[in-house]
Amino acid sequence: MKKFLACVAVLIVLCSVAFADENVKLKSVEQLKTEKLAAQRGTVGQFIAEDLLGDKKASLLTTYEKYVDAVASLRQGKIRAIIMDEMPAKRFLQSVEGLAIMDEALSEENYAIGFRKGNTELVEKVNKALSEMKADGTLDKIFDKYLNGDYLEINPETIDFNKGAKGGKLVVGTEAGFAPYELKVGNGFIGIDIEMCAEIAKKLDRELVVEHMNFDALPMAVSTNKVDMICAGITVTDERKENMDFSDNYVVGAKQVALVRADDYEK
Amino acid sequence: MQMTMRNKFLTRHNGAGRGDMLLGVVAVFLLYALYNSGFFTEAAWNDFNRRFYQNFIKDRRYMMLVDGLRATIFMTSWATFIGLIVGLILSVIRVAYKGGARIPVLNALANTYITVLRGTPAMVQLLIWNFTIFASARDLNTQYIAILAFGLNSGAYIAEIFRGGIESIDHGQMEAARSLGLSYGLSMKLVVLPQALRNVIPMLFNEFIALLKETSVAGYIGIDDLTRAGQNIQALTLEHSQPLVMVAIIYLVIVLFLTHVVRKLEEWLSRGRR
Repeated sequence: MKKFLACVAVLIVLCSVAFADENVKLKSVEQLKTEKLAAQRGTVGQFIAEDLLGDKKASLLTTYEKYVDAVASLRQGKIRAIIMDEMPAKRFLQSVEGLAIMDEALSEENYAIGFRKGNTELVEKVNKALSEMKADGTLDKIFDKYLNGDYLEINPETIDFNKGAKGGKLVVGTEAGFAPYELKVGNGFIGIDIEMCAEIAKKLDRELVVEHMNFDALPMAVSTNKVDMICAGITVTDERKENMDFSDNYVVGAKQVALVRADDYEK
Repeated sequence: MQMTMRNKFLTRHNGAGRGDMLLGVVAVFLLYALYNSGFFTEAAWNDFNRRFYQNFIKDRRYMMLVDGLRATIFMTSWATFIGLIVGLILSVIRVAYKGGARIPVLNALANTYITVLRGTPAMVQLLIWNFTIFASARDLNTQYIAILAFGLNSGAYIAEIFRGGIESIDHGQMEAARSLGLSYGLSMKLVVLPQALRNVIPMLFNEFIALLKETSVAGYIGIDDLTRAGQNIQALTLEHSQPLVMVAIIYLVIVLFLTHVVRKLEEWLSRGRR
């Protein structure tokens, strides 16, 4: 037993020495086509990475359930870049040392709320609420609160979920690891999407209930009616449109970027 | 049998062999590597403290772990309870079938149940329960769905534990009881079951321990159990290792405690046994 342990330990040490090789630094997104990439499972980042890698995606693409796991792999050198939305990437840049975002964006996307296919009634109601919020500046105010302030200081209890509303519940599915759009703090939730949904719920005279689940479980949850709608910084794509309905866009031109190690990137 | 095996393992003393030497050398090498990478410097210590504060102390974030632990224990306890009931019913059906009370339909059902639930991963069962069977149950707390899924799953295992416990009792015991004029039911109740219980109780505790760890997949259907609480802290502080290691430590402490209880229980149960 002890001999076996010792052998394993020696092997680990040897491996850590053997696999620490030097690479050519990244300069442009073109280089990513032959590199090990990562994305959160089920996100648009994954689709973009698949397009970039083509046939090689089976061997070069790793998908993670959580961004934190992907970033840990990036820092350990298991992958070279994470394809993700710019805003959460910027948050990683602020709080994790040694990261960089490649200047060149990979694409620009629009965010919308997702619904079960054929739930036209709710889509129309939400669209009406959204356009009112766009017109009277409510939406801008929410974005301003999160993009120009320290949102980690926001107390979840200050967000009004319209408890006890007469119209029943409005159940929203989300993946609360995507700040500043949604984040779990203590027992509550904060984020742009959360506050936006809270406003929508108020306009619909319904009580907001937030269900926190994995991102790739969200389409399943909305199509089986577990939740009324899903709001998690979801990009509108043609493929997704085949399986669910979308509201009007509430974010236009959100960039998809490559998050890399700072010492691995040459501007 | 298990007891003797373990005692043998624990009391087997090896002198310091080449394995120890090699392990020592590697340990020194690793310590040296850690020292070189600045692991023992004051800066590293301060950094550790700062991150620890961020992860667990600030805004009472440790409460997320406490709530998660509460959910984990809540789910495990109720699931074990359901498992006990289901397991008892199933094992009674199967043992009675062998003992002469033959109801083929029930026995076939019990067999199928055990085969299916033991032959598929608990994680897959959990997803099926939540997204297929209870697809339209929206106001039902997801925790109850998880309890049901884990409970029915562990019921299949517990049924086998019970059956194994009963069948481990020598046939002669039953035959002797029957020859003394006791009915099948009474011989079971007075002679076989008390002896079986002695074998079964430690294994039930082990099932509880296994289930405790198994519930860590509950996060997949949106329950903030202990594992998921750690992941929530990760998302909050963007810190990778500390929350996970902390979660692991909490699981380990609970499991070690329960293992200790099982060991004491085993000793207590085997008192008077020669």
